[in-house]
This record gives sequence, structure tokens and C-alpha cells, in this order.
Amino acid sequence: MSQFAFSFDAARCSGCMACIVACQDQCDPTAEEQVAFRHVAKLESGAYPSARIDHFSLSCQHCGDAPCVAACPTAAISRRAEDGVVLVDRDLCVGCHSCELACPFGAPKFQEDGRMAKCDLCHVRREYGLKPACVLVCPSGALDAGPIEELSSRKAQRASVKILKSLIAFSSADK
Amino acid sequence: MRRGSLLILGNGGAAISAAFSARASGYEGAIHLVSDFEGPAFNPVLAPYFLKGLIPWERCFPFGPGFYDSHDIKCHLGAAVESLDAVGREVVLADGRRLAYDKCLVATGASPVIPPVPGLAGSRRAFILRTADSAKRLNEVIRSAGRILVLGASFVGLKVAEVLVKRGIRVTLLDVASQVLPRSANPESAAMIQKLFETHGLDVRLGCAMDGMEGVDEGVVCHFSNHVIEEADLVMVCTGVRPNIDFVDRALVRIDQAILVDEHMETNVPGLYASGDASQGINLLTGRHEWLGTWENARLQGRIAGANMAGKDSRYPGSTPQNIGPFFDWTYAQLGNVHPDGGSVTPRIFGNPTKGGHLALYFQEDVLVGANLINCSRLAGILRKAIIQRKPWAKSLERSPTVEGIERALWRASDDLRGPALKRLFVLPA
Repeated sequence: MSQFAFSFDAARCSGCMACIVACQDQCDPTAEEQVAFRHVAKLESGAYPSARIDHFSLSCQHCGDAPCVAACPTAAISRRAEDGVVLVDRDLCVGCHSCELACPFGAPKFQEDGRMAKCDLCHVRREYGLKPACVLVCPSGALDAGPIEELSSRKAQRASVKILKSLIAFSSADK
Repeated sequence: MRRGSLLILGNGGAAISAAFSARASGYEGAIHLVSDFEGPAFNPVLAPYFLKGLIPWERCFPFGPGFYDSHDIKCHLGAAVESLDAVGREVVLADGRRLAYDKCLVATGASPVIPPVPGLAGSRRAFILRTADSAKRLNEVIRSAGRILVLGASFVGLKVAEVLVKRGIRVTLLDVASQVLPRSANPESAAMIQKLFETHGLDVRLGCAMDGMEGVDEGVVCHFSNHVIEEADLVMVCTGVRPNIDFVDRALVRIDQAILVDEHMETNVPGLYASGDASQGINLLTGRHEWLGTWENARLQGRIAGANMAGKDSRYPGSTPQNIGPFFDWTYAQLGNVHPDGGSVTPRIFGNPTKGGHLALYFQEDVLVGANLINCSRLAGILRKAIIQRKPWAKSLERSPTVEGIERALWRASDDLRGPALKRLFVLPA
């Protein structure tokens, strides 16, 4: 099994919230549903003149040892063997909110019917060869998704390109 | 039964998790499971949902009947444990059968306590809600009941009261304490929950002790202080639980409120483990042994015990006091300690349950130690993390913050999202 996961590059995120809109558009079963499975947290740090704002786009992290799975009294939440995606069977959910207390990311959301719903890593889209909706729309390429080994190699590649570029800029400034 | 086998006493969340975890850890020897119940593992958390008519009876058994065969577990069902010889590593069942073991897990759970009120214990009209049998029995008797007294305004008491009201029964809820949820809520949050129950037609009486009860032809007559007399069809007893560990030798095994266990879920006697409501593990927040019975705790502790019994070295950092659940159309949560003692406790209480949510946050030296939430439980998980991390973020709160303001402050304080601590927080895919 290869774990399928999101990757997120905080340096690239501008906090445009396009991922939230795309997620709502993709996942809302009805137009009235207000719940988004993804949210963007704003982190402020430091003080003028070295103040800094970072944005973090968070959804379900599809944890390897997901605390919500153990907390669920009905076994409605499970981790799929083939790609490690944590899924909820809404037919089994009784709306007890136990998962909400267990999750440190605020990923479980409760819809109008009182039952939990959350990010499923767009597994249906992926079956058709499409990227998750939030990844597709991310204009700065901060969000990505894929098998976890591939993600880290992509990340390493990006980092090396960054270093190369800075070297090129440095050498051309030299001339 | 030969040596080298694992013996699990009990058939609940902790027992099943232990069996599952032992197999997942590669243990291929025999696993025996003893339970006084005849069916598969029952989850008492689901009983109120069954009584409300939200789920059918079979769904109260989350692991299903096939679990035992698929994990090669030899079941001894309908068998009570008579005694446990922790040194000789042998268990005697009520029918005289003897089971020798290599490692044994006590995961026998807990049972409701019947308070020593004259006429209450042994009454045919006093009911409890805990086991599968008790849930089924209650489901039958409330069909014909018109008026029920619920003793104990605990989490379970309120859940039961809600179910009964929804089934059209007149309910009087009583507690000796001066508030509902005396253990898990601060007085302000408790008053709001009490109001909610009263608007749904419940009669809530606090500071009220029952002096006696007598059965009459068509129900019971209950006597309270100040010569108050109440008649009802039956009485629901929800005044707390005690662990089912009478068969454990107190001279040998260390027991406080329940069986004391270390981070491996092992007792002071080698080879004897305990998990779930039968055990008393470490409270992650205080570092002390505390009896904290929740479904999640039972499952995680069982899992640790099972892995260790299979020869792994698996540790449990500890559990936190917590509870969450819906009451009518509200959601209530308690996390950490809402009755902190010691100096410099600052409560910050704000918000309205019907307008965005109510919060009671308890700070000790700027560190969040406990919280009550009503109708803003989406913050529960992040607040729980803040409590466990002991982060001093009281200062980042505005003077009279909104729920959204607190959410922002919480994320602002989540600087661990930035650093290497993130990797510790994200339970990384295995």
C-alpha cells in the first residue's frame, strides 16, 4: 500500500481561499450546505519590523494512526487499506461528535443532518484520473497530492531548483 | 488450555482492541476471551441512540459477530469470572472451569452503582442503562411508562432523560449536587444545559437527596428530604459506575478506584494487564493515576495492552478527562479539568449557546487547563490539543472575544504548524 496524502508548501500559500471554494463546490451535497472540509488558518508572528503572516490550508490529514478512528463508537470511520485514506461511512454515523474531540485539526464537520462529513481526498475524482479539487485550483501550487514517497521527492526537487536559481541569480549579479 | 496463551477477560472496546492489536502485532498463539454476555461486544455509548430509535439493535455491536472467528479468538461466553490467581496465572470461572494463561488482560468494564437508599436496591422498578441486556430491558419497560424519575444528573443521566422525554414520558431529573453535570461542567455552562432540559419539559430538581423508596401496585413512591413525595412508574439509576474487578485479589494487585496500571497497561503483577473502565491509568494532564472511562480511552488502552501482551514495547502517554455529545439539538463538550484547584485559576466565560456558541475556558497561569463548550464543538479538538500542549495563550485572547475570535487566537497560537513540532503532531502515515 502506498499512502496517498496532501502536501502543503506554506511558502507558496497566499491565503486566497480558492481551495475552500473548490472544496465546497466539489463536496457539498446540497447548495444549502455551508460546511467546507478545508479551511485556511492565518498565523501571525513577530512584531514590526519583522512581522510575518503565514497561511495554512488544512483539511483532514488522513493520519496514519488516525485518532478519530479509535474514538468513533460505531466504527463508521476507517482507514482504507489500498491508499490509507480515512473515510467515514455516513450511514453508520450517529452524530455523537466523538471524532470532533479527537481530531487536532478540526477536520470532522457536521452537516445539517447532524452527521459527520469530511475530506475524502477526492477519491472519486482520482478514480477518474483527476486531481483533488483543491489541488487543481491552487494558483500558486502550494497544495499538492499524491503517493507520499512521490510527494517528498517532488518537494526535494523543488528545493534543489530553488537553490540552483538563487545560485544563477548570484552568479549573474557577479558579472 | 496450555501455557503460552493470552486470556482476555471482558468483551467491550478495550477487550476487542486488545485482541485485534495482539493479532496485528504478529501474535499467532491462542487467544481466549471470557465474557458473561452471550453476544458480541456491545457499546454502551450507543444505547441512548438505540433507545431514541436512531439505530437498530444490531448496530449497537460495532465490531459485529464475525470478529472472533476472523481473528481466531476462542470465546467463553456467558461465563463469569469467579477468581483470578495472578501469581499462579490461572482464572477460575463460575462454572468451575479453569483457564491457565501466560498473559491476562482485565477488561471487564464497569457497572452502575445503586446508592444505598432504603427500598431502591433490588427493586423491580429500579432500572439501569449499561449492558446490552439492560438496554433491551429498558426499551421494553418504557413503552408502557408514563412517568419516570431519573436519579443522577450525570452525562448518562441527562442522555437517558433526553431519550425518555423524546419518547413522550414525563421525566423528573434529580441530583444531590447543586447543578447538573456536577463532575464535568462549570456552574454557568451547567445552568444553560439545565435550562435546555427544562424548556423540553423536564422537571429538574437539584440539591435533592432520596431518603427512601417503596414499591406500590402500579409503580413506586419516593421520599425526599423536606417530606416531598413523588410517585412514578419506575426509577432510572444513573448515579455513577464502579469497575467490575471483585474477582481481583486486592492484597496482590494494586487497586485504587480501579486496577492501577503503568504506561504499558501492566499491573504491578507481571503478566497481568488491565485496560478500559476496569483500569486506572495516567491522566496526561496531571501525571497522576486517575479513573477516566471513555470509549476512546478503552480502545486505545486495549490496543496498547494487546501489543505488549504480544511481546511489543508499546506505551500509552495517558488519557485526558473529556466528554462530548448532543443534548437535544445542542452539542456539549467538556475537556480537561473544569474544577481546577490550586492558585491563580482564571475562568473566562463568554458567548451564548444560541448565538454562535458558549465557552468556559479555565486558565491556570495563562495555560488552558479545562473547557466547557456548548454549540461550538468544532473548537473541541484544537482546544484539546492546546490543553495537552500546555500552551500559554491566555494573553492572545481579546478582552471579550467571539467564538470566531477564539478560533483565530487558537490557530494564531498554533505556531507548531510551522516548525518540526508539526511532524510530531501530524500522526504521520504509517
